[in-house]
Amino acid sequence: MIELDGVEKVYGDATALRGVDLTVQDGEFFTLVGPSGCGKTTTLRAIAGLESLDAGTIRFDGADVTGRPPEDRNVGVVFQEYALFPTMTVRENVAYGLQFDPPEGSVESRVDDLLELVDLAGLGDRSPSELSGGQRQRVALARALAPEPDVLLLDEPLSALDARLRDRLRLEIKRIQRELGLATVYVTHDQAEALAVSDRLAVVNDGRIEQVGDPEAVYENPGTRFVAEFLGENNCLDGRAGAGGETEGSRVRVGDATFAVSGEHDGDVTLCVRPESLYVNASQNRFVARVTDVEFLGEAYRVHFDWNGRRVLARLDHAPEGDVELGFDPAAATVLD
Amino acid sequence: MDRGLGATRRTALSRLGGAAERGYALADRIGAHGAFLATLAVLVVVFYYPVGTVLFTAFTESGRVSLAPLWATLTDPFYFGVLAGALADPAGAPAAVRGWIDAGFPAVRTGLFGWTAYLAVLGTGAAVLVGLPGAYVLARYEFPGRETVRSLTVVPFVLPAIMVAVGFTTMFGTSGALNDVLGLVGLHVNVAFSVPLVVAALTFYNAPLVTRFVVAAADTVDARAVETARTLGAPRWRAFRDVVAPQLLPSFLAAVLLVFVFDFMAFPIVLALGGLRLATVEVWIYSLAGDLRLGEAASLAVLETAITLALTYAYLRYERTEGAARAARIERVPLVGPPTAGRLLAAGYALVALVLYVGPLASMVLESLTRGGHLSAANYAFLLAQQLGTGGTQPTVAVRNSLLFAAGAVALAVPMGVSIAAITNRDGRLARVGGALLMAPLAVSGVVTGIGLLQALVFGVDLFGWHLAVTGPVAIVAAHAVGGYPFVVRNVAPLLARANRDLAAAARTLGAGPARAFRDVTLPFVAPGVVAGAAFAFAISVGEFNATIVLARDPGWYTMPVALERYLSNPSVGPYLGPAAAMGTVLLAVTAASFVVVERLGGRWEP
Repeated sequence: MIELDGVEKVYGDATALRGVDLTVQDGEFFTLVGPSGCGKTTTLRAIAGLESLDAGTIRFDGADVTGRPPEDRNVGVVFQEYALFPTMTVRENVAYGLQFDPPEGSVESRVDDLLELVDLAGLGDRSPSELSGGQRQRVALARALAPEPDVLLLDEPLSALDARLRDRLRLEIKRIQRELGLATVYVTHDQAEALAVSDRLAVVNDGRIEQVGDPEAVYENPGTRFVAEFLGENNCLDGRAGAGGETEGSRVRVGDATFAVSGEHDGDVTLCVRPESLYVNASQNRFVARVTDVEFLGEAYRVHFDWNGRRVLARLDHAPEGDVELGFDPAAATVLD
Repeated sequence: MDRGLGATRRTALSRLGGAAERGYALADRIGAHGAFLATLAVLVVVFYYPVGTVLFTAFTESGRVSLAPLWATLTDPFYFGVLAGALADPAGAPAAVRGWIDAGFPAVRTGLFGWTAYLAVLGTGAAVLVGLPGAYVLARYEFPGRETVRSLTVVPFVLPAIMVAVGFTTMFGTSGALNDVLGLVGLHVNVAFSVPLVVAALTFYNAPLVTRFVVAAADTVDARAVETARTLGAPRWRAFRDVVAPQLLPSFLAAVLLVFVFDFMAFPIVLALGGLRLATVEVWIYSLAGDLRLGEAASLAVLETAITLALTYAYLRYERTEGAARAARIERVPLVGPPTAGRLLAAGYALVALVLYVGPLASMVLESLTRGGHLSAANYAFLLAQQLGTGGTQPTVAVRNSLLFAAGAVALAVPMGVSIAAITNRDGRLARVGGALLMAPLAVSGVVTGIGLLQALVFGVDLFGWHLAVTGPVAIVAAHAVGGYPFVVRNVAPLLARANRDLAAAARTLGAGPARAFRDVTLPFVAPGVVAGAAFAFAISVGEFNATIVLARDPGWYTMPVALERYLSNPSVGPYLGPAAAMGTVLLAVTAASFVVVERLGGRWEP
C-alpha cells in the first residue's frame, strides 16, 4: 500500500504539488490523469524517490520512506521515453537491477523468463537502438519488473507509440500487472486511456488532486467543472438553480430556458450534460439550437450547435441540418454547486 | 510484499561487496557537488588566485591600494598614443583635434594598444576574406572528400603556434621554399619580420574558424524555409538574403569576435615572426615580465584582460545554442561540372589553401628532411643527439617533458571538465555560476596566467609562517590543465545534455547508488566525449607555449614548443632551420594523432 500525505513540491518560484493526498492499495491499478504540467509526473517521481519533497510524507506499507533514496525503495519505473541504457544490450538492460538484488535462481533464467513474459524472447542480444518503439517499451517494462519491485510506476509509457500499438500494449500491461498482482501507478494525459485501464483514477490539476474514484463513478458524477470537462466531452453551462415547484428535484435556469434536474440545488450552479445524453424528440428539457458543424466519426455523428451564443455538442446517429430541438433526461444532467 | 527480505539481502550484499562498494559509498557521500568544489579549488589555486595576484599588483603602489599605476599606463602615449594624451588632459582634447585637422590629418600615434588592435583587425579581416569563400565552397558543393576537408579545417586550431611560425619561415622566409621557387625566375622577396607574414600566419590559424562556424550554421538552415521563400516569389538571391543570411549572421559575428580575441592575444606567432619590432600588448607583457618589471606588466595585463573579457562576453551572447531541431538539409551541388562563377571561385580557393595551408607544413617537413640541399636525417639525428651548445636545450628532454606534462594535464583536466559539465548540466544557480567561472580561463591570455603562476606559485607565498611554493613542472601541468579542461567540458556537456535525465534515474530505481549509476550508465554514454576531450587537452598541452615559456625558467623543463622557439631565436644552432623544422614535424605528428582520435569520436573543436 502506498500512502501520500500532504505532499508538496516547489520548483524555484513555481509550485508543482500543492498538498497531494493519495492511497494506492496492493494489487491496484491506479491512474494519475491530467493535462501536461499538472504535477502527475512529479507525483510519480516523488513516489520513486527521484524528487525530494518540500512537505508531506510518503509511506510504503506504513513505513515512512520520504527521505529514502530511489535505490532503496524497491520500485520499478517505466519512463516516458523508456530511458533504456544505450550502451547495454537488451539482456544487460533487463539484468541491470538484478546485480543489486540477486534472484533466487540464476540471473540468466530470470532474464529469459522476463523476456518471455513481454514477448521478446530471442532479442536479448540486440542493442536498444535496433528495436522498434513497441519493443523498447516492453524492454523497459521487463527491466522494471526484473528485481521484483513492490510497486510498479509507469510514466506515460505508451505516449510515444502509434494508436493501434498503444491499444494492444495497454491491454498487455494490464494483463501482466494483474498476473503479478502489483500495486501500479500509471501516469497519462490521455483521459480515454485512464478510463479504459484503471481500477481507480485520480484527476490531477494544477498540483492538486481534483477527484479520486473508480472510472465509472468519476465519469458519471464529476465533482468539479474541471473533472466534468476533462474526462470525456461535456456541455457545461452556467445557470441559476431554484426549487422544483410541484415536481421532485430542482429547476436550473440557463439563459431564457429552464431545465428540470434531480436533487436539491440552489443559487449559482453549473449544469453539465454529456453530448451522448442529448437527443432529438426528447420529452423534457427541450431547447432549439442551430447546427454549425457536423463531423462523421464512423459509429456516430459529432454535431456542433449554437444555442443563443453558447456552444453545445451532441453525439447523434444522424446528421441534422438547420434548427434542431434537443433535450435530455433530468437524471442525465450533473449539477455542480 | 517482501520489503524486509529484500532489505536484508541488500545489507548482506553490501557487507560482501568490499572495497568497490565502499568506494561507491564514499563517492555517493562526496557527490557531484564535492567533485565540483574540488575542481573549483584547483582552479582557485592554479588560476583565480594567480591571475588575481597579477591584477592585484596592478592596483597597488608601494604596498597600498592605488589606481595610480593603471592611470600611468592609460596616460602613457607609448601604450595608448593620442588617446593617452586625451585622457591625461581632457580639456585640451578639442584644441588638439582642431590642430590635427588644421595640420591636414597627419598620421596619428596609436600606441601599443592601437597597434595591437590594428594587427587584430588586419588578422580578422584576412580570416574573413579567406574563411568565407571556404565556407561557401563547403556549404554549397558536394565533392569526394568534402567531409575530410571539413574535418581538416579543425587542424590549424590545435597546431602549436610556434610550429606554424616555423612552417611560415620555411615557406616564406629569406631562404624559404617560396624564394626557392621564385629564384628560378630570378625573383626574391623578403617578408621576414614583416606585417604581411604575421597576418598570413594569423590567417592560417583563424580563417578555418570562420569557415567552421559559418558551415555549421549553414547546415542547420532549413531547406523548407528557402523553398517557402521561393514559392512565395523570391528569386534565389533574395531567398539567400532574406532567409539564409540572417541565420548565418549570428554564427558569423561570433566567429569574427572570437577571431579578433585570438588575434588580439596572439603571442607565439607575433613573437617568432614579428619579434619585438612588431610587438603587441601580449608580447610586451612577456618582455616586461622577462625583465621582472611585473608591476608594469600587471597594469597592461589588467587592461588587456578587460578588453578580451568584454569581447568574450559579446561572443557568448552570439554563440549558437545546441540542439536545434533536425532540419531538411539544403541540397549541395556537385563541385565538378561546367564552369560557373562559384566553381571558378572554388578552384581559386583550392590554390589559396594550397599556398597557405599545405605550403608551410609541407616545406617544414621538407626542411626537416634536408641538410645542405640533400635529403638527410641529420636534423633528426640532432634531436636524438642530446647535445647542444650554449643554451643547453636538450631535444629529447623537451620531447619527454612535453609527453609527461601532457599526460599530467589530461589526468587533471578530465576530472575537472567532467565534474564541471555534470554540474552545469543541471538547472539552478550553481550551474549558472559554474558556467560563468568556466569561461574565464578562455578569456585570460596564457602569458597573464603564466605570470600569475610564476608570481604566486613558483615564487611562492608566505602563509601562517610557512613558505608555500609550487615548483616548475607542477605549475606547468596545472597551467596546461587549465588551458585544456574547457575543451573537456565542451565535448562532454552536449552528450550529458542528450543523456536523458531519466537514464540515471532508471539506474537509481533499479538499485544503483548515485556514483554507481553515474559510472554504469552516464559515463559510458558520454565516454566518446570524454576521450575526445582528453585528446583535445593532450593536444592543447603539447602545443601550449604562452604559459610554459614563462614557467619553464630552467632548460630542464623546456617542452617541444619552447625548445622550438629557442632554436628559432638562438643562432648558435647554426644557419639551419633544420632542427626547428624537425622538432616541428614531431609536434605535427603528435597533434595529428590527437586530431585523428578526436575526429573519429566526433568531438567538438570549437572552444
